[in-house]
Amino acid sequence: MESPLLQATDLTVAYDDAPGAPAAIEGIDLKITAGDSVCIIGPSGCGKTTLLKAFGGFLPVARGGVLYRGRELLQPSRDLVMIFQEHNLYPWLTVEGNIGFGPRRLGIRKAERQRRVDELLRIVGLESARRRYPHQLSGGMRQRVAIARALATQPAALLLDEPFTALDVTLRRRMQLFLRDLWSRTRTTMLMVTHDIEEAILVGQRVVRMGGVPGAPAGIVETIDTSSPALKDRFSDEFRRLQAQLEKQMERETPEENAAPEPTAAATVEPALLSSAT
Amino acid sequence: MKTGANIGRTRSRSSTSFASFAVGVASVGALVLLWEVVGRREGSALSAVMPPPSVFLADVAETQFHIGLGSNAPTVYQCVVSTLLRVFAGMALSLVAALITGALLSLSRTARWILTPLVNLLAPIAPIAWIPIALVLFGINNKAAVFVVFMGVYFVLTLATLAEIRRVPPQYLKVAENLGTSAWQRWLFVVMPAVLPGVFTLMRVNFMAAWMSVLVAEMVGLRDGVGAVLMMGRNLFNSNLIMFGMLLIGGCGFIIDKVLALVQHRLLWWRT
Repeated sequence: MESPLLQATDLTVAYDDAPGAPAAIEGIDLKITAGDSVCIIGPSGCGKTTLLKAFGGFLPVARGGVLYRGRELLQPSRDLVMIFQEHNLYPWLTVEGNIGFGPRRLGIRKAERQRRVDELLRIVGLESARRRYPHQLSGGMRQRVAIARALATQPAALLLDEPFTALDVTLRRRMQLFLRDLWSRTRTTMLMVTHDIEEAILVGQRVVRMGGVPGAPAGIVETIDTSSPALKDRFSDEFRRLQAQLEKQMERETPEENAAPEPTAAATVEPALLSSAT
Repeated sequence: MKTGANIGRTRSRSSTSFASFAVGVASVGALVLLWEVVGRREGSALSAVMPPPSVFLADVAETQFHIGLGSNAPTVYQCVVSTLLRVFAGMALSLVAALITGALLSLSRTARWILTPLVNLLAPIAPIAWIPIALVLFGINNKAAVFVVFMGVYFVLTLATLAEIRRVPPQYLKVAENLGTSAWQRWLFVVMPAVLPGVFTLMRVNFMAAWMSVLVAEMVGLRDGVGAVLMMGRNLFNSNLIMFGMLLIGGCGFIIDKVLALVQHRLLWWRT
């Protein structure tokens, strides 16, 4: 059996270090193999983003842990690149400059760097916008640049935290297809958090549903195989059936009852830079 | 592709900009004209104190734009260049020093505790107040003028740098760290570009203070420089030279501010 790229075992993340402090997520077991495309869904506050951040090494764990290629993940790694809701593109760099930012800082030769940038521009369909600045792009274009920038360092996995939340419905649908197509072409491992069931079924090859009994830390409720071609058509009966079923299940879990606040900023692993300034 | 609306907007913006330029030129022109008319009247008291442009410019042209007496008298060109070099040297040094100090203060809590009160205490001191200390430390030379500009701008820029560094979106740093950059790379390629526009804006605001302080430094003894033109006019009771000096000061200050604005607009245009 193929060894997992990422593996969470009994993963528990608490709000703070104090003994007896409530956990945001508890006892999570999840394996992500190379080339996997997994979407995490669940009601608001159930710990989806907490789980994603833990997979990225951004959060200290209270119990259990995350293994990356069999080794314990204790801090963020450049092999696991996170994409946030906001694109966070550098406004002083062009599209090309933003995409080439990572490879350049890693000391990759200019020719190779340019080759990667050109290829990614082609993949994300922004060849004609290479010399534009972020403020000259639409929301969808910016998010595509952010994805290309993340891919430029050739990471082992992309961790996407509700990347299309800020986009309107039409653009969002286009971006969902773009991401699915990107995965088909590059087979880059993707772990995406979304609150949109439709998005999860369309993009992911597996959908992990999080939730839990009210008052208790959230965990994984079920994992659904969504790789069937019938589930990639939003108008198919299978798609609609699964969507309705998941909606019903998630509606039953009232957000107020099982809401688990995200860990405070102090509990996250901040970049070393400037940490003393705050 | 330019749409009709875009073209309309561009045209409207450029016509507004031209109108503002034309009105500005017209108002200055009207003032000069009034000055000429009043100054050229027979027995006008104004012409003795403030000779009109046609008079003082003709007088300076007669001396082939040499300021002062004797064959060693510097030219107007030399005076302007000397002043500009002093101002820009002082401002460039203060910018670099402020960026370094701001970085140090944001990185080390101890440094911040020790130095911030000192910087806050020294920042409100007017650049001109540093002139006596500059003269004692360096004597009457270029170093003194550069020192005055430096001290006038450095402390304010340090506080601005510190504030700008605190404003850098943490996500920028998170992304950079996630892409594999080292701490010094994050400083150089994320923090510095993020803070430069804000710091540069404040430097531009403080330019006028630096400009005035270097003129005062030049007036207290330097042989050349725009301030020295004014002082030479006073010493020779030459109101033509005084008016010419004032014109130079105003003109150079205006042009430099426009150049700084252009640099900001073309090179440091982004906001984080």
